[in-house]
Amino acid sequence: MNWDSSFPARRGLVALAMAALALATVAKPALAQKAEPCIAGSWELSGPLAHTGLAIRMGLEVAVDEINESGGVLGKKLRVIAYDDQGEPARAVDNTRRIGEKDNCIIMIGGARTPNALAIRPVLSEIGLPWMGVISAGTRVVEWETGTNEWMFRTSMKDRWVAPFLIEYALKRSKSGKIGMMYEATGWGQGAVPDVEAAAKARKIRLVGKETFNLADQDMSAQLIRLRDSGADALIFYSVDREANAVLKSMDRIGYKPVIVSAWGITGQLGQTAGPLAEGVLVAGTFAWTGDLSPRATKVWERIKTKFKLSTPGDLLLPSATANSYDAGYIIAEALKIAGDYDRTKLRDAFFKVRYEGIIAKYDPAFEKSMERHDAIIPSHYKMLTYHKGLLMTLEQTPYALKK
Amino acid sequence: MGEVLQYFVTGLSLGGIYALVALGFYVMWEATRAANFSHGDVYMFGAVLTVVLYGSGFPLLLAAALSVAACALGGALIERVLIRPFNREPNAIGWMLTTIAVGIVLESGTTIAYGTLGRPLPTALARQPLRFGGAGIYPQELLLPLAAVAAMVALEMFYRRTILGRAMRAVAFNPTVAGLMGINVRRIAAIAYAMAAAVAAVAGILIAPVVEATPSMGTLIGLKAFGVAIVAGISNARGVVAVGIAYGILEKFIEGYISTGARNAVGFTVMILMLLAFPQGLFGRKEVAKV
Repeated sequence: MNWDSSFPARRGLVALAMAALALATVAKPALAQKAEPCIAGSWELSGPLAHTGLAIRMGLEVAVDEINESGGVLGKKLRVIAYDDQGEPARAVDNTRRIGEKDNCIIMIGGARTPNALAIRPVLSEIGLPWMGVISAGTRVVEWETGTNEWMFRTSMKDRWVAPFLIEYALKRSKSGKIGMMYEATGWGQGAVPDVEAAAKARKIRLVGKETFNLADQDMSAQLIRLRDSGADALIFYSVDREANAVLKSMDRIGYKPVIVSAWGITGQLGQTAGPLAEGVLVAGTFAWTGDLSPRATKVWERIKTKFKLSTPGDLLLPSATANSYDAGYIIAEALKIAGDYDRTKLRDAFFKVRYEGIIAKYDPAFEKSMERHDAIIPSHYKMLTYHKGLLMTLEQTPYALKK
Repeated sequence: MGEVLQYFVTGLSLGGIYALVALGFYVMWEATRAANFSHGDVYMFGAVLTVVLYGSGFPLLLAAALSVAACALGGALIERVLIRPFNREPNAIGWMLTTIAVGIVLESGTTIAYGTLGRPLPTALARQPLRFGGAGIYPQELLLPLAAVAAMVALEMFYRRTILGRAMRAVAFNPTVAGLMGINVRRIAAIAYAMAAAVAAVAGILIAPVVEATPSMGTLIGLKAFGVAIVAGISNARGVVAVGIAYGILEKFIEGYISTGARNAVGFTVMILMLLAFPQGLFGRKEVAKV
C-alpha cells in the first residue's frame, strides 16, 4: 500500500487514531479500578514445583466455593483464574499484566517463588493491582527497599521472622548449644544466611558451621562430616524435598544425627520418600491438617478431599500453603465487603480494617499500614511441625514434643 | 582417616554410575561412530519406569526387568529413527540435534506423566548402611561399581567370544567391508543401541532406591558420562570404567577438600586438561588412516 502522509484525509485519520489511543491510555487506569469479581493466580502449574500451584488451588478454590454458596460477595460470585508461570519471573510479569489489564481481576494471588514476586512489584504498582502472597516468604516481597509498598500483602511466613523461630527451636533442642546451618545454593537458601546469622547473633551465639549443596546433589557426606566435626548437634536447614532426602541419607551413612530444624521448603513428600529417616525432623509452618482439627478445619479438609480426590491429609504436600490460601480467600472476601465495591484501591484500603478468624489464626487486624505488617500471619501464629509415621503433624501431636 | 574413606566409598558409588552410563556411549560409538545424547534420560527413564511399575504392584525384579527391556527397545528405536537417517553421510552431525531433542521430549513427557516429585523405591539393601573405619555406605550403592565392572567384563567377553559381538567389532572397524561380508550392519547398530540403553537403565534402577527417581535426574549424569567416555578414549571399555570410577572419586574429594560449589568447575576443568594432555583420551588409540 502506498501510504501518503500528506494526504489530508489520511492525516485526519492518523490524528483521530492517535487521539483515541491517548484517550484509551488515559482512561485505562480509571476503568481498571472497576474490577471483575475474579481472583487470579500466577502459579507454577507445571515444572518442578507444580505441586505448589496445586496446593494453593486447593485452599483458595474451596474457600471461594464456600463463599459463593453463601451468596458470593456484594451480590456477585467470585471466580478463580489460574495461569501457569512455570516458575519463571518473565512469565509471572506477563501473567500479571494479563490479570490486571485484560482480565481486570480484583486481586492477584502469588505463587511459590520469591524471585517471581519481586519481579512483578513494579507492574503491580503501575497497574494498581492488589496482590496476596500465600507461599513465597522473601522479606523483600512486602518490605520494599524503597520504603513504600502499596499493593503487596501476604498470608504466609516471612523469612526475616522465620529465622529467629528456627534458632529458638534449635537452641531448645541442642544439648551443646552448637548450631550449624545447611542450605541449598539457590537465591532462597543463600538469601536466608544473613537472616539466620542475625537471629543467632540476637541470641548471643554464632553458627559453628555453614554448609551448602547444589540442587540435584545425591550425596552430602563431605559437608556433613565438616558439620559433625564442628560439634553442631542442631542444624538450621533450608532445602526442598529431593535434596533433603539426600541429606538425611548422607547423615545415615556417616552415623550423624543432629536435630534438624527446617524452613518450610520441605513438604509432606519427604515423609514418604525418606521414611523413618524423616522422623522427628522439625519444619516451620502455619498449619497441619492432621490430628485434632477444629470442626471448621475438618469441614474444609472434607471438601478438599472430595474436590481434589485425596485419601489422607498426607496427600496435602504443602499443608501450610493450602491453609494460607484458604484464609487468604476469606480475608479478600471480608475486605471486599468492607470496601463495598469491586474497586482495587478501596479493596487495598479495606485490608487494614479486616478482623477475621480463619483456620490458621485470628487476624486482628489482618494487616497494618507499616510494610512489616503487610503480613497477616505473624510469628505468634507460626507452628512447628514434624514428621511422624510419614505424616507432617504439629509437634504437640507427636512424641517429639518437649515435655514441659 | 574416616573422612578420606567416606569420600572414597561414596565416590566409588558415584563413579559406578558414570562408568555404567559411559559404557553405553562406548557401545554406541563402537557401532555407529555416533551416540545418543539423550542417554542420561534413558538412565532416568529406567529408574522412573521401575518406580512406576513397582508402585503399580509388580514385584521389584519383574518391574526392573520390564523397565530394562523397555529402555532397550527404546534405544533401538532411537537408533532407527533418530540416528540412522541423520548419520548417512561422513561427518554427519544431524543425529546430535535429534538425540538432544528427544532427551528434552523424554524429560518433559516424564514430568507431565510422572510428576516432578521423587518417589521411593524401597529395597532391603538401602535400609541400613554398612559402617566401617568411620565411614558408611548403603550396600545398594556398592552394587554400582560392581555392576560397572561386571558390565565391562561381559561386554569384553561378548565382543571377543560371540559371533554377534565379533560382528559388532567388524562393523566398528569398517562398516562397509562388514556389510560386504554379509553382516547386517543396520541390525548390529540397533542391537548396540539397545544394549547401551539397557546398561543405562540398570544404572538408574540401581541408584533409584538411594536417591529419588525424578525426571531431571539424568541430564547432568549423561553429560558427565559423555565427558568420562571422551577422556577415557571412548574405544576402550576398561578405560571408560576406570575413568568413570576415578571421576566419581575425584568429585567427592573436591567436595571434601575444596567445596561443593567447586565440584563441577574443578571436575570439568580437569577433564579439559586431560584432553589437552591426551587428545586421543587416556586409553584411546590414535586412529591411522591409509592414504
